[in-house]
Amino acid sequence: MSGMSLHKKLEENAGLLIFGILFVSAIGGLVQVLPAILQDSLNTASANARVYNAVELTGRDIYIREGCSVCHSQQVRPLIAEVERYGPYSQAGEFVYDRPFLWGSKRTGPDLHRIGGKYSDDWHRIHLIDPRSVVPRSIMPGYPWLAERDVKTSDIQAKLRALQLLGHPYEQADIDAAPGQLEGMKEIDALIVYLQMLGSFHAEDSADGHSENQSGAH
Amino acid sequence: MATGQKYYYDEIVRQLVLFSVFWAVVAMAVGVYISAELIWPTIDFGQPWLSFGRLRPLHTNGIIFGFGVSALMATGFYSVQRTSHVPLFAPRLAWFVCYGWQLLILLGGLSLLAGWTSSKEYAELEWPFDIAIAILWVSFGIVFFGTIATRTIKPIYISNWFYGALIIVIAMLHIVNNLAIPVSLTKSYSIYAGAQDAIVQWWYGHNAVGFLLTGGFLGMMYYFLPKHSGRPIWSYKLSVVAFWAFTYSYIWAGPHHLHYSAIPEWVQSLAVVMSLILLAPSWATMVNGVMTVSGAWQKLKTDPALKFIVLSLAFYGLATFEGPMMSIRAVNVVSHFTDWTIGHVHSGALGWNAMITYGTFYFLMPRLVGAELYSVRLANIHFWLALGGTMLYIISMWAAGVSQGLLWLSVDETGELSYSFSDIMASMAPYYALRLVAGLVFLLGTMLMAYNFYMTVRGRATVKMQPPAVDPVYGMTSEDATVGALRVGTLGAST
Amino acid sequence: MADLPSGFWSGWIVVVTIASLLTLAWLVLSVYFSADASDAHASEHEPVWDEDLREGNSAPPLWWFWLLFGAMIFSVIYLMLYPGLGAFRGMLGWSQHGRLDGSYAEFDQQFEAARTTIVTSSLGDLQGDAELMATAERLFNRNCSACHGEDGGGQANLFPNLMDAEWQWGATPEQIEQSIRMGRNATMPAWLAPLTEQGVEQVAAYVQTLGTAQATTHPGQVQYSQFCAACHGVDGSGNPMLGAPSLSDDNWLYGDSLDAIRLSIAQGRNGHMPAFNEQLDDAQIKLLVALLTRQ
Repeated sequence: MSGMSLHKKLEENAGLLIFGILFVSAIGGLVQVLPAILQDSLNTASANARVYNAVELTGRDIYIREGCSVCHSQQVRPLIAEVERYGPYSQAGEFVYDRPFLWGSKRTGPDLHRIGGKYSDDWHRIHLIDPRSVVPRSIMPGYPWLAERDVKTSDIQAKLRALQLLGHPYEQADIDAAPGQLEGMKEIDALIVYLQMLGSFHAEDSADGHSENQSGAH
Repeated sequence: MATGQKYYYDEIVRQLVLFSVFWAVVAMAVGVYISAELIWPTIDFGQPWLSFGRLRPLHTNGIIFGFGVSALMATGFYSVQRTSHVPLFAPRLAWFVCYGWQLLILLGGLSLLAGWTSSKEYAELEWPFDIAIAILWVSFGIVFFGTIATRTIKPIYISNWFYGALIIVIAMLHIVNNLAIPVSLTKSYSIYAGAQDAIVQWWYGHNAVGFLLTGGFLGMMYYFLPKHSGRPIWSYKLSVVAFWAFTYSYIWAGPHHLHYSAIPEWVQSLAVVMSLILLAPSWATMVNGVMTVSGAWQKLKTDPALKFIVLSLAFYGLATFEGPMMSIRAVNVVSHFTDWTIGHVHSGALGWNAMITYGTFYFLMPRLVGAELYSVRLANIHFWLALGGTMLYIISMWAAGVSQGLLWLSVDETGELSYSFSDIMASMAPYYALRLVAGLVFLLGTMLMAYNFYMTVRGRATVKMQPPAVDPVYGMTSEDATVGALRVGTLGAST
Repeated sequence: MADLPSGFWSGWIVVVTIASLLTLAWLVLSVYFSADASDAHASEHEPVWDEDLREGNSAPPLWWFWLLFGAMIFSVIYLMLYPGLGAFRGMLGWSQHGRLDGSYAEFDQQFEAARTTIVTSSLGDLQGDAELMATAERLFNRNCSACHGEDGGGQANLFPNLMDAEWQWGATPEQIEQSIRMGRNATMPAWLAPLTEQGVEQVAAYVQTLGTAQATTHPGQVQYSQFCAACHGVDGSGNPMLGAPSLSDDNWLYGDSLDAIRLSIAQGRNGHMPAFNEQLDDAQIKLLVALLTRQ
């Protein structure tokens, strides 16, 4: 059978055409995506990775809600200029509790994967409310409402349970204690807690046994 | 078959075209606004819903799903009836798809402003909307493939292969990528985590570009270009190989959005080679289109619709060359995370998607109402505004992106990084200003078109058109076609 | 490399990738060069879809065939050289982190001498070198200016001025290096409870008079001596060892208004300078110290 006569069969039969398209377009995913999902290497936590606590998770969800990942990546590439600028390059084991991933695709602002600890809480607070008060040339929007709104405590238990269902090792005690941990917090507080822990999952002794030159200070 | 009493359902096409133009104006205006926010960051006035992080998804979703999908539904419904020689299958379902989709875009857009987002690019809408999309999309598929299954001409025309691929592949991508555990009506968590989520998302994200913004619009090209130029598609053989090579190779290319990231190298490498192979089918289609018009060049002098379509092929060729280049690791090191990507996307979205749609609509609108276009002069002005806006946009973002990429990598004589991030961003101001102008020019053209269409269709009824008589050689009854379609899997025996 | 797939999936990737590429090649060859290819349309009657809509019969161009095969041949070579086909890591043994190591080896070769010279040079020599000072300014711009301001003049009534003579944690090069390397945490407790509101009022007023003649007779003096003098000194001159600022000069980090001083006393202050020892190497820190002790 020639290629053309095969095509003719599909071209004259709608059912076969649907099947043909589905089959041909599925190949790529079956080769690239399926093994990557089924294999454990991308799902193995780095030595320092742990689940987000209630406050961090709340901060992360505010980060998602405000679209921070539209302008900020969380993915330091293994390029010397990036390691020097941001810190150790990002590795898969650091992201195993990230749902969804927040790597971003555009840096209108700098990468944030190693931002934790680089600035004081006070700086973050001022900068989030009015970025130009500390970085005069910044084009980042201000987020004044984060300092006014109380964090929502009503859905945190449902969030933790959903993540538990997906295999995140939360204890019942964590879930019970969660609303109390958020009590009295403003949204900006939770967001700052999240920003300050970014990068803390990095482990010098990484999965592939490679540890040299991963720090900006060499 | 009493074809004499059947009419094509073109009212629905007209409605979808108008919705598409409406969303184009709205979503492009949002784009212009957010490009202004990158120059004057305080024009969100401290309002969460005006903040860049919430408006940017509204811009992209509005363009892709509001403008783009409405245009694809309109042109798909128009062409599938004419290439199947039957009216739409399940017309009421088609109306449900038409209005349901508009309601989805409206409510979905509002939900993005409210900050309900999954954050996965071009899949930001939260799970209730994802379910609605799946239902509407399957309904779209039923109408489309139902029409094909009841066709009275045996061979299925090329444009329908592409529209068909659009429907099938987007359904697959949408469902797999959006699987999530809901927490509340407005929040869910992806069932994939971290690097795996990234691989799934860009398998989706890249192929939303591939099968929606490329494949779907190629379907538009394969019907409207030959129809409009009055010449047959240049090479059927080329169409066949290009279609299957396209459908096969595009789907692998997604991980080139994740070069040098924490995903495995082998996944990236397969994306590199398939991105390069993809250049061939992409250019095959461009050649096929350009050669189809070849011989009808004189029409370009007088016909703004054809000018738009031919120009769109040039930008299509440009963008599909640039894409594989940017997928090469060494180029990607510079281009990734910069405005180069934004420029690349817009050379596709403005130069290819918008222009071929404009050309198609300029052809379609007068036909639907059986009248001349209100003003050819305005359409010609629109052409130059669109071309000028697109060129200015691409050039400014290319210059901005290349300089960002290189400045990020630059070190001085002691090895120290030359510039802080904010130094580099501050130097972007002139490029961003040019981009704002480019966006305004392009938007102005689109608004002229909207006005032109309004004046063209105002007070006019949609023309009733009928399918032709059954062809003596290639004709078949719709029952034949339906039965054949149901016998999937009997490849050897089906004829 | 841990990230290479193993076992069944490795074979799956190799087999499906190669088989599907070969099938694509077969399809293209078969359609391009088979005689029966377009017989349907070669007949005198060809299908017409919409009035005049037809499929043309031109032979596809040979250059396109070579474009596709060129890309496929390139792909084969690429997948021989780089990791891509399952567990096969490619003949170059290339990996992302390997590439980074290579970059660092080159980097060290190119810049190590210059950086060693910086570490061993005297501050005076560094300060005399205009190019190195330009590098130091770059470093400052990139690492320090977000808090201390682009001109180092401090900002937001929170982040100290580094251009003046007063250094809360000490002005010697060693003390400044320590501040950069390990960071600083100032802990001024909240005094509202022990002092009461009236006490806060009086101490705040007293503190404003420090360094002037009125100080000796002020009613806030007693409580100042009891609660504040241990860190800030009896005369308010401060103690750099503790990061306690001088209260007798005109320099007020958190603002010099009575309100601001009252707030500092009542609620305390917890200024935090992050540690930079993990972000900056010895040469970089030395350059910053040289920049900050210039004049």
